[in-house]
Amino acid sequence: MDKFQKTFLQEAEELMDDLEQALLRLEDDFEDKQCISEIFRAMHSLKGGGSMFGFDTISSITHHLETIYDQIRNNELKANRNILDVTFEAVDHLKHSLMDQQLSEDYNRKKHQEVMLKIEALRSEVDNGQEELDSSESTLTMATYYVLVSPKESIFANGTNPLYLIDDLSALGKCLVLPSLTSLPVLKEVEPDKCYTQFEVLISTELPKEEIKDVFIFAEDQCDLQVEMICGGDLLDFEPLISALESKRLDEDILGYDAVKNIVQLHLNESSKSIKKSKKDIAKTESSIRVSSDKLDELMNLVSELVTTQAQISLIAEQKGIEELTELGENMEKITRRLRDNAFSICLVPIQVLVTRFQRLVRDLSNDLGKEVQFITSGTETELDKSIIENISDPILHIIRNSIDHGIETSEERVKKGKSPVGKLELSAFYSGTYVYVQLRDDGQGINPESVKKKAIQNGLIISGDQLTEKEALELVFMPGFSTAEEITDVSGRGVGMDVVKRKIEALKGDVTIASKINEGTSITIKLPLTLSIIDGMLVEIAETKYIIPLDFVDKCYEIYTSKLDGEDSQKYVFEGSMLPVLNTRACFGFQAFSGDITQVIKLTYEEFPVCITVDHIIGQYQAAMKPLGEHYESQDEFSGATILGDGSVALVLDVMRFVRQHLMVKELKLEH
Amino acid sequence: MSKTVLIVDDSESIRDLVEMTLENAGYTVIKSFDGEDATYKLNTSRPVDLIITDLNMPNLDGIDFIKNVRANEKYSTVPILLLTTESQAIKKEKAKEVGATGWIVKPFVREKLIAIVKKVIR
Repeated sequence: MDKFQKTFLQEAEELMDDLEQALLRLEDDFEDKQCISEIFRAMHSLKGGGSMFGFDTISSITHHLETIYDQIRNNELKANRNILDVTFEAVDHLKHSLMDQQLSEDYNRKKHQEVMLKIEALRSEVDNGQEELDSSESTLTMATYYVLVSPKESIFANGTNPLYLIDDLSALGKCLVLPSLTSLPVLKEVEPDKCYTQFEVLISTELPKEEIKDVFIFAEDQCDLQVEMICGGDLLDFEPLISALESKRLDEDILGYDAVKNIVQLHLNESSKSIKKSKKDIAKTESSIRVSSDKLDELMNLVSELVTTQAQISLIAEQKGIEELTELGENMEKITRRLRDNAFSICLVPIQVLVTRFQRLVRDLSNDLGKEVQFITSGTETELDKSIIENISDPILHIIRNSIDHGIETSEERVKKGKSPVGKLELSAFYSGTYVYVQLRDDGQGINPESVKKKAIQNGLIISGDQLTEKEALELVFMPGFSTAEEITDVSGRGVGMDVVKRKIEALKGDVTIASKINEGTSITIKLPLTLSIIDGMLVEIAETKYIIPLDFVDKCYEIYTSKLDGEDSQKYVFEGSMLPVLNTRACFGFQAFSGDITQVIKLTYEEFPVCITVDHIIGQYQAAMKPLGEHYESQDEFSGATILGDGSVALVLDVMRFVRQHLMVKELKLEH
Repeated sequence: MSKTVLIVDDSESIRDLVEMTLENAGYTVIKSFDGEDATYKLNTSRPVDLIITDLNMPNLDGIDFIKNVRANEKYSTVPILLLTTESQAIKKEKAKEVGATGWIVKPFVREKLIAIVKKVIR
């Protein structure tokens, strides 16, 4: 394929992603001008490139859609759900047919015709509807007016109640009424048949100025009236402006038309500034270069080779006692460390790149199931290694599917339960230590631990006598062959369940937990390591073999007399006044007891409480380039990988979480039986 | 010395295509991805003999970019060609008004592009 065509294909994919994102935003707010012009631009670029590089499918479809969005952009047409649905379908089709431009697959060809017909239908509909729109346009433009009503003191005398006038006003459109009471005398001096109040009203309406004046037609000589148009559009939709006006009122008499206009101007400027700014921010993140992921993988590989070589140099320098070389080695270590951190950050991708896909799923699914779901995201700028990003999408999609299918109820059910009719699904991501947490929380019906247990007993996963805490019961959903849905819908399906989600996440050295409250919702938390390929570790020796303990887990080091150890897998020992579990690694790995007098103990941070492990010697800090262990060792749970040391020997990298969990559990089991 | 052409387009593939076409014809090409970037490049890089620009671009669109260029004393007379699918006459008129010299319609044939460029800068 032509090199330009290839570039264009990549570009097209990105443009379609942008397009999809903008469409999703437009769905929330049909009037979003910025969105509409983004959509138009993306289509325009697709069309231009498509025709330039011979992708006729793309150019023919975008050509017609572009016309429609151009009309929307020029206010000749209003965006609506139907247009969006067709556009989504068209974008899907374009994505599918990107690799099949000749439409050689039957399905694609049929789909193409179908989409073209739908767009055609949309266009003729638009053309018909347009005339109606044109003829009624003059009456349909929304504008915001300033009205000052100053009733004369004697207004009550002819039976007019100014409050009724205000009521009539608010029948015309949205109103913000600001009464002025400054001329009201103290109670003693009030004459009940006199009117002391003035009103300032902001009204947004589609009706012309004359209609507003007409409200006062019978009270004309009883009150002074000023009606001025502030500007087109509905200002009362604009929250900050309203609060600004209201707060301004508290310390002033009548504001007057000019003052109101000034405040409005100020706010409009500010908001357009902030829009411009956010636009800039987006543009900034976009101005990046494209690098193929193979090149990045290669870079990471080379960096890890360099780390290994640098370790060799340092080792030789130390062994031969060459001072200059030691110094060079240390310098090189500093540089490789920076290079490593830099190369890492290149490989990091924000979770945001996945969000469009999730939004799309939420949209399509909730439409299919007739549920209303609001999808909220936060912390999507959180970055993860691209290899993790690539693999985390499916599990999250599955969790979202579950939430919408089984968790969030239909609107009627929700209203019955006293909840808001629109369900909420929140995706939040954040850093904590060297982990990234991705949390999916819905406010659906939650999971009943009792029914989970019942199901687990039915499926033979536990026996009826088993005592489980609520948490343990919920965790059963991650067991293979478990499915809580009473009816199996084609959405979450059977087969693939939460056990696959768990397995996939664990394959990434991550962890997944679940929490749920009946009728309040479920939250699933995924914990992922920041990166996989090079780690800072502590090099230790156990039974003449070297191991790496990831430094992030190391809290403190202690020394104890070996004689204090009882030779069991695990025991308790008091360090600095607190009793801590100590895992004897030699016993855990099945080696003979250590013969040295003093054993080193490393205190590790492990979930809720610290745990100690014993090692023979601590050698020092070490940058470990992680290598996979290979197929033979996949079934073990104690090591996450291996690294090559400076002298060419291999050190195993301890998977602290699993090692501790496994050996503490062994101990607990032993105690129980 | 070879003549220098600045191509401004938000699409990388189009930029590359124009670059290769013109470089093969003996021109030096500077690439830019939007109006803002192009304005910056005009002020900082070597003198440019011709500007080819897209109309629909993020940040600073073609029309505003042309206005910027014309406001710059150094470039008040440099030829500017529009590279656009825009078939609407209004946009073209608008572009001419602010100072565009002519236009090339996408899709274009490479030979045609070279011919037009040659015509504009002798």
